[in-house]
Amino acid sequence: MKSQQEFVTGDDFKSRVLDECLRAVPLGAYAYGDDIHYAFIDAGATRVLSRTLGPGRQADAVSAIAPLYSWDEREMHDDWDVRFDDLPDPRPLRGIEGNMPAAVTAAGEGLTHFVVGPVHAGIIEPGRFTFSSGGETVVHLDAQLSYSHRGVERRLAGMTVQEAAPLVARICGGCSASRSMAYALALESLAGVGLDSWTDLARLAILELERIYNHLADLAASAAGAGWGPGFARGMALKESAMRLCALACGHRLLFDAIVPGGVGRTTMLDSDELLRQTNTLQEDVGRYLDALFGNASVVARWHGAGKAGRETLRAFGAVGPARRAAGDKIDVRTLHPYGAYRWLQVSVALAKSSDAYARCSVKRDELHDSFRLAKEALMTMRFNAPTPALPLAVVPGLAVGVVEGPRGTETVILHVDDQNRLLRIHVISASYRNWPVVARAMDGNIVPDFPLVNKSFNLCYACADR
Amino acid sequence: MIGRSIGIRHLVCGSCNGCEHEMNALTNSFYDITREGWDLVASPRHADVVTVTGPMTDAMRGPAHETIDAVPRPRIIVAIGDCAIGDGPWCGPKPSGEGAGVELNATVSVRGCPPSPDAIRDGLRAAARQLDPAFAGDTESNMNNQTR
Repeated sequence: MKSQQEFVTGDDFKSRVLDECLRAVPLGAYAYGDDIHYAFIDAGATRVLSRTLGPGRQADAVSAIAPLYSWDEREMHDDWDVRFDDLPDPRPLRGIEGNMPAAVTAAGEGLTHFVVGPVHAGIIEPGRFTFSSGGETVVHLDAQLSYSHRGVERRLAGMTVQEAAPLVARICGGCSASRSMAYALALESLAGVGLDSWTDLARLAILELERIYNHLADLAASAAGAGWGPGFARGMALKESAMRLCALACGHRLLFDAIVPGGVGRTTMLDSDELLRQTNTLQEDVGRYLDALFGNASVVARWHGAGKAGRETLRAFGAVGPARRAAGDKIDVRTLHPYGAYRWLQVSVALAKSSDAYARCSVKRDELHDSFRLAKEALMTMRFNAPTPALPLAVVPGLAVGVVEGPRGTETVILHVDDQNRLLRIHVISASYRNWPVVARAMDGNIVPDFPLVNKSFNLCYACADR
Repeated sequence: MIGRSIGIRHLVCGSCNGCEHEMNALTNSFYDITREGWDLVASPRHADVVTVTGPMTDAMRGPAHETIDAVPRPRIIVAIGDCAIGDGPWCGPKPSGEGAGVELNATVSVRGCPPSPDAIRDGLRAAARQLDPAFAGDTESNMNNQTR
């Protein structure tokens, strides 16, 4: 993924960024040294608009007009000492020494406020949700995350690109393979190498397996959110089967280190008959499950209209992935800027219109069918080539952007590498980081008991959003 | 606690969510821990055992201690995964901590990145043995309860 970088001088930086937001898909923004960078992707290219800060490190907040940059710019302000004076939400993004800033609540007669988290009743990552409600109806929700902030980006800076690879795979458990792929794509573009078709196919199979186990978990949890226990139990059993398939393919149930810079990691069974046979069996079981799930009128009725995030909201917040496609916007990196085997195996992009829980679930259903088709096609085709070990990479210094369509949407890894093969700066923008602000807005006007359903229809991670 | 039928409360302290995927797997029909008489409980006040994951983060330290303090005694803390044990990829300088299990004095550790559901179940069995006075002299419970 070759990335074009353009330094913009003068006062029109903000308007250039806004123009680019309308033309391309905004990925996010970050600061490095004395520069700030805003990254974009569109058909066939990634582009970074950069500006050098003056001695006062002053910058205009683009989030004053485009809310999608709210988290990015607060993070630059808090952690990287960029001075924004006009941030619409000037609260610290993260707690300072463990003290979370006060939540934003709605005020008015008859409104009550209640807080959920950061410790939750189930097995869920930590986040604090402050609801303002009038009776059952949610008027406002403030979602404050960052309880899992581990200082990942600062920890990785200074490591060699090889040392950092296993840590990049462990930033987040649920989208590990996608992030490893984005990291590998960025490094491979700096090394100027293309990989053989066996490796590209192996990677595609791994990435689609990741989508399969994640979407199964999301749909199972959405069945639970609608109160259908058997749908949850069967869905989680199928997710278990999918994780066992991952272990069979790559030796790890969550695909950690399955994709490495220059190739793939453990490849023991990727071209085995057994893997293909079990993938077939799982596909049939999943097909029956999806028919039962979407054939259950009371579940589907509960999904309809729940957690609607309008198209304008999704665009304003730069939402990505199934959540964005659920409003009919055809944004999928696999077709927008194809990488690896997606350059010749055609993805059928799943779309819906109503942008509610039903739309998000139906996009995931269609993607599950397509993921099985793609994974099987890759597994069958790769048998005609001999397995290849990972290539050693000779990385040249520079800036590279790796973008991958993960289960939840656009997974971005941006690297600045020096001439000693070391990471000067790594910035990770996860699909969850882009979509979390939308979850809060999707709750407006919904009833409190639908929060688990609305939340699970997005099913975002906290670890890769907090880093 | 009746006959090792423990109530388990899970506490996430900056984990990558990998350990949570495997903790969740304990409730699926393959592992189904209700067969052991175990339950994942919604409140620390109902818990006999607290499973902790992650390196501990500055933001979670306060809420984690409050949660542990709310658990009635006797109680056992189980460190799940390499991060919680103090040996994981994210243990280290601020804002990360030295491991949730290290900071909260876990007496059972389950290794792995993440540990398999079988390994977690073995760790929980070790915790149940530590809680059960009838088995206090049990050689297994004196084995430092390292589960691999």
